[in-house]
Amino acid sequence: MTRILLSDKLDNCVARWRKAGLTVIGPVKKETSSSYAAVEKAADFDFGIVLPDCSIKGLFFPQTEPMTGYTIKKQDIVTNDFAPPAEKRIIFGARPCDASGLAIDDPLFGWDYKDDFWFQRRNETVIVTIACTKADNFCMCTSLKLAPDSTKGSDVLLRPLQNNKGWLVEELTDRGREAFKEIADLLQDGSEQAAPLAVVPEKFNLDACVAWLKNPENFDSTFWKEISMRCIGCGSCTFLCPTCHCFDFQDEGDTYSGIRRKNWDSCSFSLFTMHTSGHNPRSTQSARWRQRIMHKFNYFPGKFSVNSCSGCGRCTRQCPVDMGITETLQAISTLKP
Amino acid sequence: MKIVDRRDEAPGVRTLKLEFQNPADHEHFKQTFRTGMFGLYGVYGEGESTFCVASPETRKDYIECTFRQSGRVTSVLASADIGDLITYRGPYGNRFPIENFYGKNLIFVSGGIALPPTRSVIWSCLDQREKFGKVTIVYGARTVADLVYKHELEEWEKRDDVDLVLTVDPGGESPDWKHRVGFVPTVLEQAAPSPDNCIAVICGPPIMIKFTLISLKKLGFDETNVYTTLENRMKCGVGKCGRCNVGSVYVCKEGPVFTAAEVSRMPQADL
Repeated sequence: MTRILLSDKLDNCVARWRKAGLTVIGPVKKETSSSYAAVEKAADFDFGIVLPDCSIKGLFFPQTEPMTGYTIKKQDIVTNDFAPPAEKRIIFGARPCDASGLAIDDPLFGWDYKDDFWFQRRNETVIVTIACTKADNFCMCTSLKLAPDSTKGSDVLLRPLQNNKGWLVEELTDRGREAFKEIADLLQDGSEQAAPLAVVPEKFNLDACVAWLKNPENFDSTFWKEISMRCIGCGSCTFLCPTCHCFDFQDEGDTYSGIRRKNWDSCSFSLFTMHTSGHNPRSTQSARWRQRIMHKFNYFPGKFSVNSCSGCGRCTRQCPVDMGITETLQAISTLKP
Repeated sequence: MKIVDRRDEAPGVRTLKLEFQNPADHEHFKQTFRTGMFGLYGVYGEGESTFCVASPETRKDYIECTFRQSGRVTSVLASADIGDLITYRGPYGNRFPIENFYGKNLIFVSGGIALPPTRSVIWSCLDQREKFGKVTIVYGARTVADLVYKHELEEWEKRDDVDLVLTVDPGGESPDWKHRVGFVPTVLEQAAPSPDNCIAVICGPPIMIKFTLISLKKLGFDETNVYTTLENRMKCGVGKCGRCNVGSVYVCKEGPVFTAAEVSRMPQADL
């Protein structure tokens, strides 16, 4: 016997959670794009989306966020630090790759200086993941040793039922159990089978790629130039990536008052590492693409013991010049370590 | 922090002397600052810039920072007046382990605007001169005018417990220039400091560091006795924002001070 949540009860669940003070967020389609956004009723969800265009990263690490407000007076500077917002949220219908992305970035935001903005949101957000029964040609979670039903980063995992009328409920964390207490009476026992998971073929051999990347001789390989020749450095891959976390500080305002903000930045941009003197450690697009791949599969795991990629495939799916991690790692798989 | 003094070092290069406004911040600085660390100095409305703390760990009543006016933030900092307030975060990063240098000879090699970080170490050592052996300073700039801390160069030149070797790039000498003419690595090789019981501290533009490391190797210095500081572009200073990375190294956390042995393990093309 397992617990089951039927789709027709979902509207009730959304109402309960909202009444309990939670902002309910889920996959939503808007005209030409899709994302994770706040909903008011179950009908707002679109569970047919294989993967929303934008990852859930932005809900924890927003594209732009105020850090400090300032007012400059004659002999004084008055500042007010913005606190991370105290908002309890439930994300219903996250994809396993997106939830994994959050878990991957936790050690980065937690080592040394602890980023309160990230962790406050992490602690106050319940993540209900729905296992994937559909995948597209760009999905590659299995290549990253994850799966369409990975539980990494999730508080509750739902498996769609074979009859498509609801989900099997697997509560994974206390935070998840707490949120589902709210709707305990709306769940029921059942013996229905879960629908088969999406088939995501392995696209490359990760271990072979990592071995090649770890060999210092390959750092200067001509491979990097060839594979990144058509990169236009737009940064889309980094912005859509559920794990890319580089940022910039910018002041918005004038000499008298304004806000110091934290904004997404991208290692694909030529100004990212440019010194004042004009010296640029990563002066070519190929050096920047190499940094992105090395960082994800060599440097980051070296430091935090996890690859900085959850296999969502957005970098490839939405690249304007049809590049991406998949192509690069597929090519590396065929090279001698 | 409040600007309590300012000084022009060279065309476009200025030093600001800063005092803490908040006693708790000052106490934190006194407790944590060691030579080699850096800070983020800024002006609200413009942003922040990363410079080393140019004053030594033996003088913690104030902070001195020296910078070249070249961008948005440094232009505003350069036009700031005595009494003006600027923002400061820090100190961040690691340090030169000068207690490991006790009893050893020291050679400082520096170029252009990179004297400020070296100067912090130099004074940290000169303020407890008896603990070190022979002290040699090799400093060069493009032109005579571009030499920074001219008043301190004069002071070091007069001291008989410091050997100062000054040089300017060929073509940068003035008619009354009495010192060397030549690039820093060449002049260093001519000065030929003995690697025995000697620690080298080098700081300069990436190209100077690269060739100075080669020269020191030629002179017989062991890579573990050569220290340098990598001044990469930074924003957060606390190991998050990603831009100072060289390979897997966060320069802001694990650096900016590295031994030449550590630098040689980094991907050279990304330096």
